Amino acid sequence: MPISPVNSRKQQNLWLSVGPQPKKSISFTNTVKGGQTKGYIGANQSRMAMSKTLMVLPEIKTEKMNISTPRTVIQVINALGVDVTPRPLYHQDPHMGTAKPNKLLTSQEGSYASDYISSYSLYQNTINPSMLGQFTRSVLGSSSVSKSSVSTTESIAEDLEEPSYKREKLTSFTDLRVVRATPEKIVTKEDLQKTVEITLTETETLSFFNLPTVLISVESEEAGKVIRRNKIYETLCRNRLGNDLYVERMMQTINGAPKNKEVQCDKIVKEDKGVMSSTWDLYDSYNAMDLSPLPTKQSMLESTSKASIPSKDREQRVTGSTIEKNSEASSLMDIENVILTKIRDDEEDHSESIMKSDKFRQDLFFMERVLMENLFQPKLAAYHQLPVLKEPEPAGPEDFLEGEKLEQETEEEVKKEEEEEIEIGTEESTIPANLERLWSFSCDLTKGLNVSSLAWNKTNPWPERIYQSPYGVTAVDFSIGAPNLLAVGYHNGTIAIYNVQSNSNVPVLDSSESPLKHLGPVWQLQWIEQDRGTTGDDKREILVSISADGRISKWVIRKGLDCHDLMRLRRTTASSSKKGGEKEKKGEALISRQAPGMCFAFHPKDTNIYLAGTEEGHIHKCSCSYNEQYLDTYRGHKGPVYKIAWNPFCHDVFLSCSADWGVIIWQQENTNPFLSFYPTTYVVYDVAWSPKSSCVFAVANESRVEIWDLHVSTLDPLIVNVANPGIKFTTVLFAKQTDCLLVGDSDGQVAVYELRNMPTALDSGRVFAQNIGHILDEIFLGYLI
Amino acid sequence: MAEVEETLKRIQSHKGVIGTMVVNAEGIPIRTTLDNSTTVQYAGLLHQLTVKARSTVRDIDPQNDLTFLRIRSKKHEIMVAPDKEYLLIVIQNPCE
Repeated sequence: MPISPVNSRKQQNLWLSVGPQPKKSISFTNTVKGGQTKGYIGANQSRMAMSKTLMVLPEIKTEKMNISTPRTVIQVINALGVDVTPRPLYHQDPHMGTAKPNKLLTSQEGSYASDYISSYSLYQNTINPSMLGQFTRSVLGSSSVSKSSVSTTESIAEDLEEPSYKREKLTSFTDLRVVRATPEKIVTKEDLQKTVEITLTETETLSFFNLPTVLISVESEEAGKVIRRNKIYETLCRNRLGNDLYVERMMQTINGAPKNKEVQCDKIVKEDKGVMSSTWDLYDSYNAMDLSPLPTKQSMLESTSKASIPSKDREQRVTGSTIEKNSEASSLMDIENVILTKIRDDEEDHSESIMKSDKFRQDLFFMERVLMENLFQPKLAAYHQLPVLKEPEPAGPEDFLEGEKLEQETEEEVKKEEEEEIEIGTEESTIPANLERLWSFSCDLTKGLNVSSLAWNKTNPWPERIYQSPYGVTAVDFSIGAPNLLAVGYHNGTIAIYNVQSNSNVPVLDSSESPLKHLGPVWQLQWIEQDRGTTGDDKREILVSISADGRISKWVIRKGLDCHDLMRLRRTTASSSKKGGEKEKKGEALISRQAPGMCFAFHPKDTNIYLAGTEEGHIHKCSCSYNEQYLDTYRGHKGPVYKIAWNPFCHDVFLSCSADWGVIIWQQENTNPFLSFYPTTYVVYDVAWSPKSSCVFAVANESRVEIWDLHVSTLDPLIVNVANPGIKFTTVLFAKQTDCLLVGDSDGQVAVYELRNMPTALDSGRVFAQNIGHILDEIFLGYLI
Repeated sequence: MAEVEETLKRIQSHKGVIGTMVVNAEGIPIRTTLDNSTTVQYAGLLHQLTVKARSTVRDIDPQNDLTFLRIRSKKHEIMVAPDKEYLLIVIQNPCE
């Protein structure tokens, strides 16, 4: 082998080869590299560069860290002493560094000796065979040919892949080499957080294939040449057949051995899930996007439980999400114990929170109401004057037939009752009129206390609101305009206004600081709507109170309770002289000038006129316009007048009751009593007219409640309800819409009674007025006669 | 809290009330006056019924929701106040 005098390279002499001699046993550390160069082994064209490559290789091996090596002049001299040093075909432009898409693989080798970087770039370029032009192709072709002709070694065989592939590898190799040159930097945290600028640029266009056209336009300049050439070729083809110049020869291309590669991916876990979506489900999901997410414990639990259940193929779930939760929970309990305990802990928390939640309280409240409704259904129905539903009695299996009969009977009974209730007026009822006790309100708090006054507001059997007050309550009234305001009068004279919408014990308004407050117990309170024609205001509601200090005062709610005196009740002597006796007769030592007022009643039509009853037994007719004088005085009672009531239908007539056991009916024009009743020897505490009938009124005295119907009899009460011994009835109040009567007693109970089978006619008010007028006239006449 | 307890006691003491139960969403009784097996049975069955009833109500109008459920049978009446977290069940025998 010719030895080239290469200096300062160690193993180079071994590697020299000149000319087409094939190299057989060339083993390189990097087979890629070797392959590259091997491609040139045995190339027919004198590739002196190859030898140069070969020579360079040991350089590569030994000096891997070297980026640049000095260019050494290599000379190759053949056996004859001829300098056959291959001349480089590529002269690297010293100014243009890397990006020259220049021709040859050979040219790279020239720069091998120099920078590796440039070689790197050149290698890059070699990826574009098209760029290298025709020569390259021939080189490629030649290289492949050479490959085939060379007897294969293992390494060669490996490298029978596309040259480009090798070249890529080569580039990567050089890449590596370049990269390794830079010292390794330790990436610190700050570096990680530093903003790194990344510039995105387009790579240069890489053409992988360029097939220039072989068609030339007829009009071009070369057209003539091409046509001539084509003609020559045609003739050549024609002559080819029998021509000796052309020999047919077979060639075979060796196909590369195929290589199979199998790839397997990880198992893809599939899960089926189905949900039946209902209308509300869709609505909820749609709206849930607007709401905030709910990371409650329970949902977390749900998710953990879901995760713990092994994923099997589930059947399509038909139910909604809540049942899912349930089934999951139950299966969970079967499977995991750890999570079970977790659930228990959470549940304990939950149960407490459930008990405390507002919703629970509300639900309890409703439940109670519903229960009550159930219990009192028949009575409530009677109260509301609805047909009473009788429950069909549950029949035992033996008594099945009998049970049926019973049912029929009860149905008949119901029918009968209905008939009775409807046809009361026409039929002669065999059942006498009676008071049926529906239910009673009682409370532990009021046990033993007098029920002093009743005001309408339906309550449950247990108190809806309890307002504790420091003093005894002597009067209550609900406001008409603002039905949530309750005015309360106390035993010590103060008046307080509560708002029943709130539960607090503190009244909204209090008169305890007012200088004009009452000094004695407030015996009656009433809200009156008064025409304020003079001032031009609308009907204003004022609170009128009468108390034992002898004053009737009017309270207006402006900023706090404002009080005006409507009237001072003066004492008048028993002996009647004139009307409106303001002057006191001398000679009688009176303790006070004021007469304690017990009750008052405003005229239903003319709210300027009212009646006031005093402890003396006198009833004074007064007007709001005069606060000094009485318009009239009615004398008849001998004891304190406890209650006055105007007839709601006939506005001339009013009732009064007093401690002298008597109930007196008066006519407005007449200062003498018209009719008086002394049914018992007990103090009459309360009277009230029935709102339905002009002739019916109720009387409550110590021992019994009486319902009088003047239409029927003026001597005896229609209904008498005797109280339990020891209990005094203290107040009565009629229910406005129904035939019920509320009676309060000294035991703190309020009983609701239904007036049944009352012989009342359902006539209009006018007729009522006429009725009582007639009756009274009749009675009067009767008396006269 | 005391108010709630008092109300529950009061409900139980009403005439005709056979039993009162409060069960949570998983069917575990929080408070009950009946024995455990009955409670669990009631809770399970009524829960399903409540869900169905609620689904019915909401299918007709998604903005609506179930507030109270009453089942009247020959022997007694079952009243259920359902909620997301619990069920309040009262069984009453209205006629005696």
